[in-house]
Amino acid sequence: MRWRIDLEESLAIALSALRANKARGVLTTLGIIIGIVAVIMTMTAAHGLQSAFRQSFSAVGSDVIYVSRFPWIIMNDFFLYRNRPPMDLHDADELAARLKGKAIVNPTMGGQQDVKYLNETMDGVSIVGTTEKRTLVASGQADKGHFLTDFEVQYKKNVCVIGTDIEKALFKGTDPLGKELKIGRATFRVVGVMEKQGGGFLGGPSLDRQIYVPITSYIRAYGGKRLDVNLGVKARTQEGLDDLEYEVIGQMRTIRGLRPNEKDDFSINKLDTLVGAFDNVMGVVLLVGLLITSISLFVGGVGVMNVMFVSVTERTREIGIRKAIGAKPHSILFQFLFESAAICLTGGFIGIAIASLLTAVLNATVMPASVSPGILLTAVVVAVAVGGIAGLMPALKGARMNPVDALRYE
Amino acid sequence: MRPTNGNPPSTNGASLELRDVVKTYVMGADTVHALRGVSLDIHRNEYVAVMGPSGSGKSTLMNVIGCLDVPTSGTYALEGQMVATMSEYQLADIRNQRIGFVFQTFNLIPRSNIFHNVELPLIYAGVAKSKRRERVESAIDRVGLANRIKHKPNELSGGQRQRVAIARALVGNPSIILADEPTGNLDSKTGDEIMALLDELHAAGQTIILVTHEDYIAEHAHRIIRLRDGIIESDQVVSRRTG
Repeated sequence: MRWRIDLEESLAIALSALRANKARGVLTTLGIIIGIVAVIMTMTAAHGLQSAFRQSFSAVGSDVIYVSRFPWIIMNDFFLYRNRPPMDLHDADELAARLKGKAIVNPTMGGQQDVKYLNETMDGVSIVGTTEKRTLVASGQADKGHFLTDFEVQYKKNVCVIGTDIEKALFKGTDPLGKELKIGRATFRVVGVMEKQGGGFLGGPSLDRQIYVPITSYIRAYGGKRLDVNLGVKARTQEGLDDLEYEVIGQMRTIRGLRPNEKDDFSINKLDTLVGAFDNVMGVVLLVGLLITSISLFVGGVGVMNVMFVSVTERTREIGIRKAIGAKPHSILFQFLFESAAICLTGGFIGIAIASLLTAVLNATVMPASVSPGILLTAVVVAVAVGGIAGLMPALKGARMNPVDALRYE
Repeated sequence: MRPTNGNPPSTNGASLELRDVVKTYVMGADTVHALRGVSLDIHRNEYVAVMGPSGSGKSTLMNVIGCLDVPTSGTYALEGQMVATMSEYQLADIRNQRIGFVFQTFNLIPRSNIFHNVELPLIYAGVAKSKRRERVESAIDRVGLANRIKHKPNELSGGQRQRVAIARALVGNPSIILADEPTGNLDSKTGDEIMALLDELHAAGQTIILVTHEDYIAEHAHRIIRLRDGIIESDQVVSRRTG
């Protein structure tokens, strides 16, 4: 009860002190506002990048398991994988046969080649050798003409389906269907153009700058020794991805003739793995960003501390009076702590408002971004913490004042 | 026989007992002996004036009596409670409940109105809001400022401000009112009015200790203690002037 009465008084004094020094309060709050806006924007931007990344990789298909010789993400452990036997079309056929009725298996392999049509060339175009099943496993259909057919794959036809960027760059509005492209050493006839798919944001592959050819023709044209086929496996039914993964591992071990005590000589890759790796990178980016933006919040906090020291000093006499008539040190402490907390909390809320506005602008222009409740909570907590820390030293100075000296202060 | 330093004072019914109180300050390289051994009893409902030239130690004595400061050595008992060994928190309670300060410069909180200024000691005492109002209004009424209750200190004259300060000193029903040069910033007519108010409070049973260097102010008291160089030079009971 007594504490509550004390604290009510401390709060009332803090608020009236702020009212008495409006301009000073506003300027000090500005520092906190800038700091809070910077911190929130860093977090929402990192958030936005993450969802943009997910979006750009959505074509990979989150319900597909990719079986490959190597994992997608190799840190410093390449030596663990380099002796693995290559993955070939035989493995693909075997797996498809064993999973018949349960899953679709689509083998792909790829590399980069220079592409030439008449006088136009494109360097380093991603060439994907695949089968007619690709359209079942990954997103994207042919817009003009048709996608690769069972027949074309089986009989190693030199045909290709091109992405919209390729169409635009090489054909300049003329009809590409039936035209012959020089891809590396071989010549392919265009049978289809893919619909526009986008992607390509921040290192994601641009799906529109790809050329699809039958995997059989690909191996004949470019294969050589390095036969590394990736198998995309998608369940036919909506059975769990985990179950499918176990089944695929089991079947692959049989196909590859592994004994029970041998490790897998292939890797299971999922979109989750990629996203996980990206999240790790974004975590570091976020941390660095927060570290930098924290500096502006720190500067804001120093501003608050400075103003609080001024406030304590100019009210030295008042502190003396209050102590003389019975104010305890904690009453004085809280009077000043509340003042700095009020400054920072106000700054926090205004900062949140401004950041929400900026986020809306960001969302409308650059990338998907939104302010989550977690971020808002963090901002409020940080603002209060900055207020508390910045106010503590000045408040302690006031609370510890000797009443005799304080009363004598002019 | 006075008890020696460190012994508890005898309980002779005095409301305030100082024994061999010494106060030394260190100011830079110098040590200032503000009080060099002051022993003093003040009883309930006494009206005491403390006089002395500047530097005589009277302000220090006031600070010790008012529990704003603790003696370097010696003992001080306020209504039987040993003050010299108290913590900062206990001293704050003593000041809040036993002492009413009236300062030369009034020392009101400038941004707060009269009501709130007088209410403040009760807030720090933890008195519930519902019980505060009546006590605050009666204290303000007692100093004759009931019609100024919503005013800020800077809207009042010096004499009125000092009345507010007296109301603030009274509101907690203190054992002692400590008035440090209460008329020092007032013209003589207003000063007389304030002294009349203090006389009235004394007549109603209040113990008052007055610090002054003006003889005609000191004459309001019934006992005059003169300090010089940190010791009591004289301590005499005066017969009250008539007329």
